[in-house]
Amino acid sequence: MDAGTVALVLVGLVLAATLLGVLHRATQGRARAVSARRNGDARIVSIAGVALGGRATLLQFSTEVCAPCKSTARVLDDLAARTEEVTHVDLDVTHRPELASRYRVLQTPTTLILDADGAVRARIGGAVRRDVVVAELERVLALDRVLAA
Amino acid sequence: MTAPSSPRGIDPRGPRFTAGVVAVLFLVVIALALLGYGVAALILSIYNAAVFLWGTVAGVQRHPYALFFKAVIKPRLKPPIELEDPTPPTFAQGVGLFVTVVGIALYFVVGPIALVVAGAAAFVAAFLNSVFAYCLGCQIYLLLARAGILGGKGAAAA
Repeated sequence: MDAGTVALVLVGLVLAATLLGVLHRATQGRARAVSARRNGDARIVSIAGVALGGRATLLQFSTEVCAPCKSTARVLDDLAARTEEVTHVDLDVTHRPELASRYRVLQTPTTLILDADGAVRARIGGAVRRDVVVAELERVLALDRVLAA
Repeated sequence: MTAPSSPRGIDPRGPRFTAGVVAVLFLVVIALALLGYGVAALILSIYNAAVFLWGTVAGVQRHPYALFFKAVIKPRLKPPIELEDPTPPTFAQGVGLFVTVVGIALYFVVGPIALVVAGAAAFVAAFLNSVFAYCLGCQIYLLLARAGILGGKGAAAA
């Protein structure tokens, strides 16, 4: 291969990697609402040894080799501490891979927002952003209040 | 509740600098292999594998490029906003070692093109890590755990 073609290959590789990075970053921290019908039996979360919050639960899946899991745990911990009857649960799936399969976790951190019944209402892949979690939590808690009234 | 930094926390910019150097070196590997300098590409790949092995075994804190970062670059930067656990980047070193060794082994079967393919994979991972703070362990480690390959212990066994 001549030098000009090689240079083109390298530039193409750098551009492709940049595109991948931009696309990946765009998916991180985005909340996806989970519809009640679609998820079947994976919709209601019940895990032995895990106590859910009275009004909502921030269920985080983590591993040890995950840097953004730590920052996510800090944000969720703080939000749970500030909101009554909202609990943050951080599960290390290294030792419980069956949970990762059951809840279709493909990356860590993955955060599920559960309502009072333990039903999955939203899913956030990647490091969370505080404002996104607050908005989703408010949505879940507000619907709760409507149902209770 | 969670401690903001463990006592063995490291400056997160260290591993990102390391990944940047590695990304450039893999571009050189690819260029050498494509230009017909297969043996030179092989030697540089072996060098990269040796450095990955060092990072995997000694931990990313004692990685040669991280030591350079600490001695030369870090003093010129502002202090880090927060420190990070060295386990995730050490795992990434192990993944890099695996990919590089596969490329070297296949060189002896299919020739320099193996170094191009493995080098491209390693480049993309290192580039994303360096520029976008992409976390390799967040997906690959989980896949290994789900496949039942990991799970006995959670340490940085790569």
